[in-house]
Amino acid sequence: MQRKVIFKGTLLPILLIAPQLAITGVFFFWPAGQALYFSVLEQDMFGTSYQYVGLENFRTVLSDPGYVSSLWTTAVFSVGVTALALVPSLYLAVQVDRVMRGKGLYQTLIVLPYAIAPAVAGVLWLFLFNPTVGSAAWVLRQLGVAWNPILNGDHAMILVVIASAWKQISYNFLFFLAGLQSIPRSVIEAAAIDGASRQRQFWDIIFPLLSPTTFFLIVVNVVYAFFDTFGVIDAVTSGGPAKATEILVYKVYNDGFRSAQFGTSAAQSVILMAIVIALTAIQFRYIERKVHY
Amino acid sequence: MRRRSFVAGAAAAVAATVAMPALAQQAPRTIEMWIGLTGVAQELLIQIGNDYNARNPEYRVNVSFRGQYPEQRAAAIAAFRAGNPPHIMQMFDAGTGDMMSARNAVIPVSEVYRRAGLQFDPRAFIGPAFGYYSTPDGTLLSQPLNVSTAVMFYNKDAFARAGLDPEKPPRTWPETIDAARKLRASGMACGFTSTWIAWIMLEQFSALHDLPLSTMDNGRGGLGAVLNFNDAAREKMVQTLVDLQKDKTFDYGGRSNNAEPKFISGECGIFLQSSGGRGTIARDAKFNWGTAPLPYWPDVIAQPKNGIVGGASLWVFNAPNRTDAEIRGVAQFLDYLRTPEVLAKFAEPTGFVPPTEASFNRMREAGYFQRNPGTEVPFEQLNRGTPTSNSMGYRFGRWTEIRDFYHEEVERALQGQITAKQALDNAVQRGNAALRQFERTAQ
Repeated sequence: MQRKVIFKGTLLPILLIAPQLAITGVFFFWPAGQALYFSVLEQDMFGTSYQYVGLENFRTVLSDPGYVSSLWTTAVFSVGVTALALVPSLYLAVQVDRVMRGKGLYQTLIVLPYAIAPAVAGVLWLFLFNPTVGSAAWVLRQLGVAWNPILNGDHAMILVVIASAWKQISYNFLFFLAGLQSIPRSVIEAAAIDGASRQRQFWDIIFPLLSPTTFFLIVVNVVYAFFDTFGVIDAVTSGGPAKATEILVYKVYNDGFRSAQFGTSAAQSVILMAIVIALTAIQFRYIERKVHY
Repeated sequence: MRRRSFVAGAAAAVAATVAMPALAQQAPRTIEMWIGLTGVAQELLIQIGNDYNARNPEYRVNVSFRGQYPEQRAAAIAAFRAGNPPHIMQMFDAGTGDMMSARNAVIPVSEVYRRAGLQFDPRAFIGPAFGYYSTPDGTLLSQPLNVSTAVMFYNKDAFARAGLDPEKPPRTWPETIDAARKLRASGMACGFTSTWIAWIMLEQFSALHDLPLSTMDNGRGGLGAVLNFNDAAREKMVQTLVDLQKDKTFDYGGRSNNAEPKFISGECGIFLQSSGGRGTIARDAKFNWGTAPLPYWPDVIAQPKNGIVGGASLWVFNAPNRTDAEIRGVAQFLDYLRTPEVLAKFAEPTGFVPPTEASFNRMREAGYFQRNPGTEVPFEQLNRGTPTSNSMGYRFGRWTEIRDFYHEEVERALQGQITAKQALDNAVQRGNAALRQFERTAQ
């Protein structure tokens, strides 16, 4: 039984949530409304003339083969980033969890990259893998790999996936470590007494008990790959070569700001909004059911 | 903004109480100018603004950097949409068509001078620059400032190592390809590379070979122009790049200026680049280098035409609250920016081409071109022969975007996904769709 505490009065609660409501209104509902409005207009670059065109911007966007390929690029990119950001961080967390001495040092070192801004991380990797001056590129060339992300789309994709995932590993590591520490020792000890190997302990006990954390991180990482990797892509490839790394968010920016096509760019962000709402709904409705809480 | 006027107001109040009779001295009017140049050119332009302020207490010109050309363009568009544009804005070559059709957003430079009552002859600017930035009736829309064209830089030391004559740069494409092969054979990682490939391999290429980019005088004849640069000559150029990429006789270095390190680090021996890139090469290259005109195909044209103007020009924004006094201030500063002294001072350390005959003569008389061999090459390339309607520049809306269509399609061809013919067909088709949409919104 829970006892509910109810405060009297309506003015004070409204006053207290007003700042949050104002922030949500100004930074979310207003721009979102603006995007919806722009998506049904066709206007010139300087906004001196515009006309209502109904759903034509959406028709233009959806019939553009570049948009469809950007959808595919985004899918590859976000699966790549999520997988590459989750697997090593889980491995690192499990290893650090077992370390007895110097745990703090390992933790600090692994968390460090999270303090780096995405654009800086991008530039860092760009330099390492630049075919002309990069040291990592030099090593690859010595190994006989014709490394060229400037022209080879697959190489460019690998580069932005690594640069984006690298930063996120720290974040995921923290959550996995916290998740591991909240698993009752008694359960693992019981398994050990029953003679379960380390591997078996991990797959049958630790991994299922970690699933709420894993699920949460999948959602966070997919959203990260969709929206927060803009800085990395802008710094490393600018969406190229030949649009090989142009994910949906980057296309919105490119069409809206570089090309000043506000109508089709707004239509794209409306579609993006719909995709994200749908993705989140699916994740919570279907995947969450399978999660052990 | 508010803070600045508060400070100015406070200063005025202090001045008024200290010296009542000195009321006639007003606070200077501010003229905002946004630029997108970086490095040496940026510092110099800000300094030129300060020099002007020291001499003209009536106005205070504020030259500020707002990001490189594409970002600065986006910032200016946003400022205009918010009703608060700068007075003067620098816009790079590819954005010219967009600005020209934005009739309500800009005031033609000729009209700015007329309204300020200042003498102005737009034909004082060199022909290609005048042709690029004026309307058919001779009205100059924007004032050329940093004019450039594409030229060839080559590594003289590498030429000598490859058994080529360092004082005899290749003139034609067959000679260039031959030289690049020899450079490769001498152990270099790449023969030649190029920056800005849409500008150099399509726009400059077409002007040099007297080939149209579109119908209707390259778009100068109206908004209905249809792109048609997917012919055999342009295809051959792209096909050449595709073929040479395979053994790195040509090595693609990315868009914009990104190929620059490939030449400066000594990786590639021949480099096609804007003449405005000279300053950086002079500072960073650790080898002897030379400058030569862009190569041409002798089987397409016997005598290549002039190159077209790149760089940027200055546009005057209109706004509902512009006063006549502000227009006068803008005109006076623009007038200052076209004097031979200022233009020469700007062109010399940067590598840009002096945009008027008078500024070129001033530099020549001062012995600049003799002291700096190769600096006359871009000027000569811009001014050779009689310009034709194909070499007088172009005027298209959304050209920044169409350039990117070309980049993407050529990148696909270089990757081997499509043929050179398909790349140009796609670029033309996508470009025409953009032009038709632009035509609708511009009317």
